[in-house]
Amino acid sequence: MRELAPQVLGALVRRYGQFDACEDAVQEALLAAAQKWPAEGVPDNPRSWLTTVASRRLVDEWRSESARRRREETAAALELPVQSAPSDRDDTLTLLFLCCHPSLSAPSQLALTLRAVGGLTTAEIASAFLVPESTMAQRISRAKDRIRSAGATFTMPPASERGDRLRVVLQVLYLVFNEGYTSSSGPDLNRADLTAEAIRLARMLHELVPEEGEAAGLLALMLLTDARRAARTTAGGSIVPLDEQDRRLWNSNQIEEGVAILTRTLGRVPVGPYQMQAAIAAVHDEAPSAKDTDWPQILALYEVLERISPGPVVTLNRAVALAMVSGPRAGLALLGTLDGDGRMAHTHRLESVRGHLLEQAGDLVAARESYRKAARMTASIPEQRYLALRAAHLP
Amino acid sequence: MKYMIMTFGSAEAGLEAMGRDWMLEMVQFMRALDKDLKDSGEWVDAQGLADGSQAKTVRFQNGIPVPTDGPFAEAKEALVGYWIVDVEDEERAIEIASKIVAFVKQPIEVRRVMDAPPDF
Repeated sequence: MRELAPQVLGALVRRYGQFDACEDAVQEALLAAAQKWPAEGVPDNPRSWLTTVASRRLVDEWRSESARRRREETAAALELPVQSAPSDRDDTLTLLFLCCHPSLSAPSQLALTLRAVGGLTTAEIASAFLVPESTMAQRISRAKDRIRSAGATFTMPPASERGDRLRVVLQVLYLVFNEGYTSSSGPDLNRADLTAEAIRLARMLHELVPEEGEAAGLLALMLLTDARRAARTTAGGSIVPLDEQDRRLWNSNQIEEGVAILTRTLGRVPVGPYQMQAAIAAVHDEAPSAKDTDWPQILALYEVLERISPGPVVTLNRAVALAMVSGPRAGLALLGTLDGDGRMAHTHRLESVRGHLLEQAGDLVAARESYRKAARMTASIPEQRYLALRAAHLP
Repeated sequence: MKYMIMTFGSAEAGLEAMGRDWMLEMVQFMRALDKDLKDSGEWVDAQGLADGSQAKTVRFQNGIPVPTDGPFAEAKEALVGYWIVDVEDEERAIEIASKIVAFVKQPIEVRRVMDAPPDF
């Protein structure tokens, strides 16, 4: 049912204009369907059922005086150019661009995309982000107001802006994925669902724009990363680092799919950071054991990544690969170039990696100090426990 | 990302030092702030706590937990109340705290809630 949400919304906005009111109407239609369909059975044409119910809600809403006034006020701003027989494909893509409009803050882009494109209810999104439902409702409503005041309409961005706008969409989907990329135990279950939703939306985007290498790269990266989910944490929720994971628990179907997407993509389109990160994940995923990992290959890939998308986090990861190829001291020397980099001042990652490399180098006292420092800096509880334990295991 | 914004002190001391009008203004200020945070879709929770003099502290004594009267810290440093906000970045959390500080003219502590996904 949820894959119909953007199609129904697209059809409605095209007919009536007024994205925000249509979006509310579709949400109500989805809620009605969730109540009725399980009992009465799925209608023969679910899409036309949803469109009819949503249209009726919209008309009901417009019959009220105040709403009509509001409509008149905003009609001019939302006047839509008439388009000839647009496809669902275009509608869904247009919707993604609109929900990830650059005038919105990242939390608003996430929330609106999950509701309007993902078809999730406000309650579901609120529970995934652990905020009250009224807060999430308000965030979505504000996002729609802001889109309106920014003068954005339900039209495809011009070709000249499309690259930049697509980058924002990819970033939003990646953030959704990361939010869910956490232990799948206890109260975190809800957030794990966000990972599945991010993969579903990335898959949809890749099908909409198969020629875009970075959309393919992002989907591959998500599949190749999420493939390790079952091995990444213990039953008690503790983190298991990559080199200690039981690789038999990795999801081989997802790895196969991710590698296939990557193979189809690499070399045919301009290379981008998501493709490179996916390629690195693929090298890890295809290694039969941690010690059989092709580290020279990973180091070479990080060097390419650093050329096309330089930044301290890439340097940090390259230091890990360099340590595996040329020894921990070489990695530590590269890490040293990040000391004093303001962008690393508020993240635990530098000290966490330094701890691992110092441990490998046999400097256990300094390693323990780095792990402890990192444990104080992280904002993730499982990670804090992991780092504190790592420090405690050292003499 | 979520932040906890905490105020310290005691309600009684505030009333003595600042007077009745200030207290009434403060109630209005707090209400308006809560409304703003709800309207902006950033409000997660906010609570005021009973005065620190009413607190109990449970201590581990002679091998067992023993409740005693009074707060653990000095009463004038006791937690008075908090907001939890879900904001785009730390800058925004500090902006919210600054509004409160400009009004109460007392220090406010801003701390990240440990809600980040692990990086591995």
